Amino acid sequence: MGYKCCWFNPGRNIKECPNIEEGEEYLFTSPRKRLVEKCINCKAFQDDIAQLAEESPLRKIIVTLCEEYKEQKGHLQSLSAFLTSKSREIKFLHELSLVLQTSMELDEVLSVAMTAITSGKGFGMNRAFLLMADRDRKYLVGHLGVGPRNYEEAWRIWDEVDRSNFSLTELSKEFYKTKISSERAKFQDILEKLTIPRDLPEHIFNRALNDRRPILVENASQNPEIDPVLVSTLGVEQFLVMPLISRNRSIGILLADNFVTNKPITPRDMQSLQTFAFPVAFAIERASLYERLNDEVEKQAEANQKLKEQQELIVRMENMAVVGRITSSIAHSIRNPLAAIGGYARSLMKSGDLNEKKEYLEQILQKAKQLDEVLEEVLSYSDSLHPVIDCWDLNHLAVSVAAEMEERFEENGLTIVLNLDADLPQIWLDYKQIAYCLKTIISHIALDLSEPGTIEVETSCSEESVRLCVIDKAVTLSDEMKKALMTPFMETAELGQGVGLPLCKVILERHGSLFDIEALQGGGTGYCIILQKQKEDKES
Amino acid sequence: MNRILIVDDEASIRLLYSQELVDEGYEVDAAGTIDEALALLREKSYSVALLDIKLKNESGLDLLQKLVKERHEMGVILSTAFSCYKDDFSAWLADGYVVKSSDMKELKDEIKRLIERKRVR
Repeated sequence: MGYKCCWFNPGRNIKECPNIEEGEEYLFTSPRKRLVEKCINCKAFQDDIAQLAEESPLRKIIVTLCEEYKEQKGHLQSLSAFLTSKSREIKFLHELSLVLQTSMELDEVLSVAMTAITSGKGFGMNRAFLLMADRDRKYLVGHLGVGPRNYEEAWRIWDEVDRSNFSLTELSKEFYKTKISSERAKFQDILEKLTIPRDLPEHIFNRALNDRRPILVENASQNPEIDPVLVSTLGVEQFLVMPLISRNRSIGILLADNFVTNKPITPRDMQSLQTFAFPVAFAIERASLYERLNDEVEKQAEANQKLKEQQELIVRMENMAVVGRITSSIAHSIRNPLAAIGGYARSLMKSGDLNEKKEYLEQILQKAKQLDEVLEEVLSYSDSLHPVIDCWDLNHLAVSVAAEMEERFEENGLTIVLNLDADLPQIWLDYKQIAYCLKTIISHIALDLSEPGTIEVETSCSEESVRLCVIDKAVTLSDEMKKALMTPFMETAELGQGVGLPLCKVILERHGSLFDIEALQGGGTGYCIILQKQKEDKES
Repeated sequence: MNRILIVDDEASIRLLYSQELVDEGYEVDAAGTIDEALALLREKSYSVALLDIKLKNESGLDLLQKLVKERHEMGVILSTAFSCYKDDFSAWLADGYVVKSSDMKELKDEIKRLIERKRVR
């Protein structure tokens, strides 16, 4: 009988074997390997064995051995493939967990997770969407989508990825740096449609979260449990809904599908993704908490800064209040004897027989009057505690005060020039106190005039405030002098001492306004009262 | 003749006010404490009382309340070194409020105003 197989035709050139392909040349020199890898499945070999079996008593044994070998080989191949896949998965999860463990940045974590799901080096899904539970846990909000939107884009992306030959970590870094924002924008319409309230227990997303298990949806358009809007939004028949749960907290949902290739998602894919979902959920929660912690730290730092400022303000106010109480006490102690001195002097002035000493008495009266004025100023500290606010025309106030001060400082040769904003709105203020402050500023400048001079009083208005400034072009104050002017009884060689301007500062601060002493460009000093507009002022 | 009662713990002020007001043609009595003032009030009636607020350990505002209840026909002027009491509710019961000064014109004008007002009534 004639055999077809080369085993039974020793003269046949082995290199003519039709089963050995390019790259398998090693089989030419190894008959044993050739037998188990090629001959067992060779049609000619099988035919020869079948023929041999009919003639040989070993027929049954050889056929059984061949079949058993094939079965074992298939099983081994399957196990080997499974092992390879699991090895790859473990390597991939290891790589992933390293990134997830070290990253605190939410977008970085999401980049890793979404790249892993959609990359061929990862789970190889075509598309993935992430929905995250909002802070109140009332909504699942579409947060990020990754993948192509159409076939053309799919081939382009996959071609790019193939050529780049990046590892998974490199791919996710690249995605985080250059693509995450554009991907979010690209899928914005779908993400908005995917957003659902958490109080719809029948919705597939909520079911997956509530039951804490993934759901592989098949034949979505025929499935009455799937919202038709969701089906049309995704445009696929099969998709995977993977809940993200960390401890007992629902973090969100991962949706994955093969929108372009329509490759079936297998239960094994689902199982692998489920293993992956645990560290992802944990990393997302940790990154979210870290983000919130940072927000809270920032808020806390802001609050601390405000607190510090308030404490400084309180300390300053307390210092001022102490000075106020001391000056008030001194002033009251002075007033009674002063009233008596002045009063008696006046009585004496009226009697005719003291003409010789009249000049002395006039001096007593004049000095008593001066002391009275100082007392008025000092006592204004306590008066400044309770402003009486009403709506006033600041220009009118400036005109009145300027006229009074020009008269008072006539001897010093003081001229006041008014530059008033005609469109100034009426504003809420304590007329008496603001007038006092303006008088004090003008007095402060006028008393320093060594020769006749001019002071400018300006008003102006902005969106938030109204300014009343007194401009002294003759003197430019140093920072030290400005500070000294704001501290009661602090003495400087140039400025003497007093409470006038510090008192203005206290009055204006209690009034909810500001007092600023500014050096002017080109020389000179501006003393500005800045009155904040109230809501009513802004509306008027 | 209109009679004025001065209540002030400062002797120099009592003397000064007494002389000035006598010169203005008023009959004047002066008390250094609330008890002295009440004793005088039991004996005589006054057109106007000038009350100091800080009377050593006493308060002129306490006396003011009594006078408003019992002597409502009498004008009461608070004459004090403290301008801050103007904002005190209890000081609002007085008919007038004058801050002490070497110039007594404001005080004298206030007394005249109260006496004039009483006459009109």
